[in-house]
Amino acid sequence: MRSRRFAASRAIRYIARREIWIERVLFLAAGLSAAVVVAIFSMLTWFCLPLFTEHRLGAVLEWRWDPIHQHFGILPMLFTSCLLTIIALIVAFPLTIGICSLLHGVLRNGVLHRMLLFLLHFMTGIPTVIYGFVSVFVLVPLLRWVFEAGTGFSLLAAGLTLSVLILPTMVLVLHAELDQAEARYRLTAEALGFSPEQTIRTVLLPACRRALVVTVLLGMGRAVGDTLVSLMVAGNAAQVPHSIFDSVRTLTAHIALVLATDSHSMAYQSVFAAGLFLFLLMSCFQAFLRFWAKHGTVFK
Amino acid sequence: MIRSLFKMYCGLGLVLLVLGLSAGSAASGALDVFKGLEGTIQIAGGTAHIPVMNDAAKAIMTANPKIRILVEGGGSGIGVQKVGEGLVDIGNTGRPLTEQEIAQYGLKSFPFALDGVAVVVHPSNPVTNLTAQQVRDIFSGAITRWKDVGGNDAPIHLFTRDEASGTREVFWEKALKKGSVASSANVVASNGAMKVAVAQDKDAIGYAGIGHVDASIKGIKLDGVAPTQENAMNGSYPVTRKLYMNTKGEPKPLVKAFIDYILSSEGLQIIQKHGYLPL
Amino acid sequence: MKPRTMDLFWRTASWLSGLTVSASVMFLIGFLLWQGIHALSPALFFGDTAWQDALFGRKPVFEGIWPAVVGTLSLVVLASLIAVPIGVAAGIYLSEYATIRQCRWIGSLVDLLSATPSIVMGLFGFTLILLLRRTMLPNAQTGLMLAAACIALIVLPYLIATTRASLQGIPEESRLLGASLGLTKWQHIRHTLIPLSAKGILGGVVLAIGRAAEDTAVILMTGVMARAGMPRNLWDKFEALPFQVYYLAAEHRNAAELAQGFGTALVLLIVTAALFGFSYWIERQAARRWDSG
Repeated sequence: MRSRRFAASRAIRYIARREIWIERVLFLAAGLSAAVVVAIFSMLTWFCLPLFTEHRLGAVLEWRWDPIHQHFGILPMLFTSCLLTIIALIVAFPLTIGICSLLHGVLRNGVLHRMLLFLLHFMTGIPTVIYGFVSVFVLVPLLRWVFEAGTGFSLLAAGLTLSVLILPTMVLVLHAELDQAEARYRLTAEALGFSPEQTIRTVLLPACRRALVVTVLLGMGRAVGDTLVSLMVAGNAAQVPHSIFDSVRTLTAHIALVLATDSHSMAYQSVFAAGLFLFLLMSCFQAFLRFWAKHGTVFK
Repeated sequence: MIRSLFKMYCGLGLVLLVLGLSAGSAASGALDVFKGLEGTIQIAGGTAHIPVMNDAAKAIMTANPKIRILVEGGGSGIGVQKVGEGLVDIGNTGRPLTEQEIAQYGLKSFPFALDGVAVVVHPSNPVTNLTAQQVRDIFSGAITRWKDVGGNDAPIHLFTRDEASGTREVFWEKALKKGSVASSANVVASNGAMKVAVAQDKDAIGYAGIGHVDASIKGIKLDGVAPTQENAMNGSYPVTRKLYMNTKGEPKPLVKAFIDYILSSEGLQIIQKHGYLPL
Repeated sequence: MKPRTMDLFWRTASWLSGLTVSASVMFLIGFLLWQGIHALSPALFFGDTAWQDALFGRKPVFEGIWPAVVGTLSLVVLASLIAVPIGVAAGIYLSEYATIRQCRWIGSLVDLLSATPSIVMGLFGFTLILLLRRTMLPNAQTGLMLAAACIALIVLPYLIATTRASLQGIPEESRLLGASLGLTKWQHIRHTLIPLSAKGILGGVVLAIGRAAEDTAVILMTGVMARAGMPRNLWDKFEALPFQVYYLAAEHRNAAELAQGFGTALVLLIVTAALFGFSYWIERQAARRWDSG
């Protein structure tokens, strides 16, 4: 029977040791989460290494993708990814401002406000593949019928679908910021006799300049990283588009298509280069985001 | 609260483990060659083969639930690569293997059907016949409107296959005579996807295996020859290819049984049912 | 007067935006319901096989989406089992234990993880298998476990963020409880902070589950197949609902398969809507708690 004399100090030492171990385990979890992204980057770079060491980088930085004739350029896809993002933003950003104005202006309180907010929250939960699915059967034939230019599988179709995809996230982020700005400025603005629209236009939105940039960056990040929408509705032709009705292929769809179908080793390496491009692009967006956002991390 | 969450976590893990390790119940097969066999067969490659492979798999798995057959597409190139690297047991190709592939991977080929590659359009398209030169010009982008080949005044919508496709390779060699395909052509990833794409677009043109041509799309006559299996058999339709199953070296007993099944009389019926010609 | 016309223009524009977006979403849901509702039947799930045999994999299911449902379920459960402990633990560490420097570094890296496109994560999983095949395990294949691990990585940042946010959201008075009772740090976290933030963390978990269920790009590269039957063990190929939707949209062979596609899309939408609704409700509960307090 152990002596009960030092039971208290034994218990304290046990608890102290346990505390240290718990902190170590928690640190391990946090460290692991951080290490993963380093592993991803290393993996991508490792598989791209042959491109650099064998001076074949030029082969990947071409404007033609035609493996049969030994052209492995992914620049058309990079161009498309950027162009598609810009188009999606051009459509989504004004809509975001419009909906936020609605939520903070005319519909500030009441049933419609809650319903609109609920709808937006619901949209964030709709899977990407569903947006693509409905687009294939509704938007693509519609575009084909209305414009009679191209097959309907085009930059425009992908851009429109992407804009609906990124819209809810953008609206919710901006809405949260506007809420805070409103708490500060609404009474002052009303005392000065501003109408709701004037308040939003001249007081609230300018006060949220930073949030506007954050919103745009978030939307861009989401649009660049999306795969299914462009895989299903953009047509997948590996060319530089000359009009918005042209069939195009993004970097993300390119990775999915080539790894699922191609089998030349040079094409494999071009895919890793595409992956690295994407990763670096998103890192840039993230860096800008951290620079602009007021409080650290903003997700979804 | 944490303790109960932890218990739930462990319980869930245990359930998964049990489910994960449990196997299906045994049932003797009616397909004699598969009696008493068990295991998994993984098949990948040509998308033209998929309907035949799926039906054969269904018949075998229903008769003998201990056997599992997984079928996926990807194109002939993927088929060669995956079987060569040991990722699958059978790699399907819609084109013959090259010398280099046979030497590099040590593959054995088992041809089992004859198929042709037809130029396909939407059923409502008035065009029914194209010369070989017209086909080459359409696919290279030189001809861009249907009225230049006797159709409506509408733009031609091109569809082509991905680089790994055996169908594409055969079409490129034998119909296009290695001509170029316009870079503005939409790319689809399988015969099934080509069918869907062309069936939905009145002005579309593409190419697919004859076995995939049904009421939803229309095969075009090439230089007056209709793309039917009879014409493929007697040689008057030039764009033909055999469908091959390939294995790395000698196939294992279960895989051999599957190949024998495809080449048997029941397999023959399945092949014919899907519009191919058994060899 | 200038302000009045500007106001009118602004008001019209905002109404138009609201109406356009609402109409599009309502149309989307309505279209899916209209086309998919006929397909909702036991035959959608089980094909020709009797449901008793199909449920536990005793007989294989052809032309039914039950294997896809099981595949998605397994993915979600496995991914959660991996991601939830790590994510919540990391969130607790970052919120309670980390120094400012650690917070900044680990926070940046986790942000970067959240910014990784899902196809790049799938590429990562695929290259992992390539590496394993070249070095230690020449028979390594893509499968359920790999896909679940990759999805867990995608979902990790959400869990970390919500755990952190819930813990930071606890008011100062409650935090003083621990010190006043003489609890050690871990006892304080475990007995005071976590019960108080449990609803928020749970909301994050449900959000993570929803994200795991709808992901397609990752599983494209890590072992999903159009027809694989029920996954027999943790290393097997599998089917999944979002991939079925994509596959059937691109390659349906006849009208029946197209109808099946709509049915699958509807099922997926219902599942994610239910998960989302649950998470929204939990979040509202958690928010209300602090509002009234």
